[in-house]
Amino acid sequence: MNERRSRIFDGVLGDNAVLSGLMVISPVIICGNTVKNAEALIYAFSAITFLSVLISSFVPKKLPYTIKVIIYAIISSIVYMPVKTAAEKFYPDSITRIGIYFPLLAVNSLIILQSEARFFKMKKPRMIASLTFYIIGFDAVMLLTAFIRELLAYGTIRSKMADVNTLISGLGEPFGGFIFLGLMCGAYRKIRSMAKKEDNTGSDLNVSGK
Amino acid sequence: MLKKARKERLIWLDIMMTLMALALMSYFYYGVRSAVLCGICVAVSLVAEIVSLRLMGRHFKADDLTCTSDALILALMLPACMDYSIAVIASVFAVVVAKNVFGGRKNMIFSPAAAAYVFALTSWGSKLLMFPEPHNKLGVFEKPDTLTHSASYAFNISGKLDYTDFEVLLGNFSGPAGSVSILLLVISAVILIFRGDISAGAFLGSMVGTGLFAFIAPVGNSREDSLSYSLVTNMVLFASVYIIADKRIAPKREYFAIFYGLFAAVFAYTLVLTTAKENAIVMVSVLFTPIALGFKNLEKKISLAEEEERIKETEAAASDENTEEATVNE
Amino acid sequence: MYLVNDIIAFLAANLILSQALGTSTLFVAADSRRKLVGTACCITIFTTIGSAAAYFINKLLPSEYKNFTLLLYVLTIGLLYIGLLSAVYFITPERFEKIRKYIHLSAFNCAVIGTLFTMEQKSANDPSLMKLGEYVKFGLEAGLGFITAALILTAAFRKLNSSKVPSSFRGGPAILIYLGIISMAVYSLK
Repeated sequence: MNERRSRIFDGVLGDNAVLSGLMVISPVIICGNTVKNAEALIYAFSAITFLSVLISSFVPKKLPYTIKVIIYAIISSIVYMPVKTAAEKFYPDSITRIGIYFPLLAVNSLIILQSEARFFKMKKPRMIASLTFYIIGFDAVMLLTAFIRELLAYGTIRSKMADVNTLISGLGEPFGGFIFLGLMCGAYRKIRSMAKKEDNTGSDLNVSGK
Repeated sequence: MLKKARKERLIWLDIMMTLMALALMSYFYYGVRSAVLCGICVAVSLVAEIVSLRLMGRHFKADDLTCTSDALILALMLPACMDYSIAVIASVFAVVVAKNVFGGRKNMIFSPAAAAYVFALTSWGSKLLMFPEPHNKLGVFEKPDTLTHSASYAFNISGKLDYTDFEVLLGNFSGPAGSVSILLLVISAVILIFRGDISAGAFLGSMVGTGLFAFIAPVGNSREDSLSYSLVTNMVLFASVYIIADKRIAPKREYFAIFYGLFAAVFAYTLVLTTAKENAIVMVSVLFTPIALGFKNLEKKISLAEEEERIKETEAAASDENTEEATVNE
Repeated sequence: MYLVNDIIAFLAANLILSQALGTSTLFVAADSRRKLVGTACCITIFTTIGSAAAYFINKLLPSEYKNFTLLLYVLTIGLLYIGLLSAVYFITPERFEKIRKYIHLSAFNCAVIGTLFTMEQKSANDPSLMKLGEYVKFGLEAGLGFITAALILTAAFRKLNSSKVPSSFRGGPAILIYLGIISMAVYSLK
């Protein structure tokens, strides 16, 4: 039961889409340099991915893989339209800054490739729960990356001045995003392996305790 | 293996000695601040190396002291009045991001000093390219009243240098703290080449490439001036010795190393000529890393093919001997 | 002489190094060198032909229906996807199984769709680019950019996946940092 539950929560920590699967990293690298951008992207990613995967789960599984992939992409590009219209009202400035990365969220690998390999093998309630945690996992990474990069590169938090002595403006650039995300992935893997080791030691102790 | 490790340490010692001489010269021109800057870079690199090795589950060994020479190379490329905080961040970047993330000194991809310099340039370009005048001796926390562009900048724009040859040889012109002492650099290059500490092929390739192109397509009106000044400005000589000819990065076979140095130098010189990009050779050295790696991959393939051929020849010789023995016996 | 500047401009416009487009695909393809080069070639086909189709979509689609652009791009890439698979199946049925995986990986990703949107944005800013030739040229350049990035990665492939790299950084994270440093060098020379 615990294992099943942990698999559902995997999307946040154990198998984070960005840090572990290295999926949907382009928006994180390019647009994840300010919290305001991150908020708009989080909204767009969450809405598009959740609705698209949910609707796509009704596509007959017997269809050939190629056809299914095309249908998933069509569904997500249809979902994109109302999401974009709403975003233009809520985040008018950020939408302009995000530019082409907004529509690109509709063809992210979590919808196109991973839904088939991961989510559609589960039952609906479980799939919804797992998908939600994957989305939360992406949102958390996006927000954390944007917060740190904005603080260190521009010395601001949500465009409000913060007290930072030495700004590293390179962190706000795409190459800074590559390097920062690479370091974050490494740190995440290290923490995960340490946690796994601890878990194994704990379970070994339990076994010996028996 | 032990011999290799000992050789690595000797290389580090030789390089450190030449760098110390350059640091001393920079102390002579800019005072105690430049020495403190070097000290901070070295100390921070050492701490970063120890901590990151610990995190990697490795122990710090004498061979890992190479991080100090990288730190000194970086420090000597900075202006003497550079903020200490920037030097600290750049040093940490050199050790952690440009080196240890890829496995440390046993699996080098980039020159740590060059990568850290480019990192500093992209984040604090305006501070990195403004220098105090030589003989403007600065205290530990002192900042100069006026900063000037480097002599390289003036050369790239006008094709001329307003310094005597003697001043140029002694490094008595504005520029990075330690990479302008031309006479010392020439002596260091000769020593390091004869001691086998740097790749002679890459160094010569770099020098010939810059010199040849500076003569064919001069920066200013005079070919002679272009030839001599192109070699001494834009950190060409310094980068050729300590970055391009770095044995950890350059291809091992001299033949390939010459081409690697030549391509990098020609590329950098063309950028200087067409865009007046200051210190382009350092950035090009980072950009040319995949080419150096490509050459190394090629070297491995050639070595493997040679090994296979040798084995085949040995086997053929052995089978020939056997046949001869069999005939004699018959 | 100006070739060097053209190389820098080409690298600076590289989809992966400057816009991180198709980075996820690069990671999936980075399993092996052959897969990397195969995928890069397929992506070039998609970006080139896709760009030609994007030209007609952008030209014919009224501005009040701009939100439909993505849907039309997806439909175009979908048709191209089926067309390419069918072409490979009929031309070299014996190689179909081998080539198929590269086509699957190359069809729907940020590199392909991103190229089409980038060109759309460029031509909106500069109407002189609103020509079929310019679109095809850009699509081809984008594909060649992906091939260049794949080659840059291939050169360091063995080192980035070496056992000497700390296990937490081996593979993906090391590749990200490697690409980041190369991208930084390109940025500094821009």
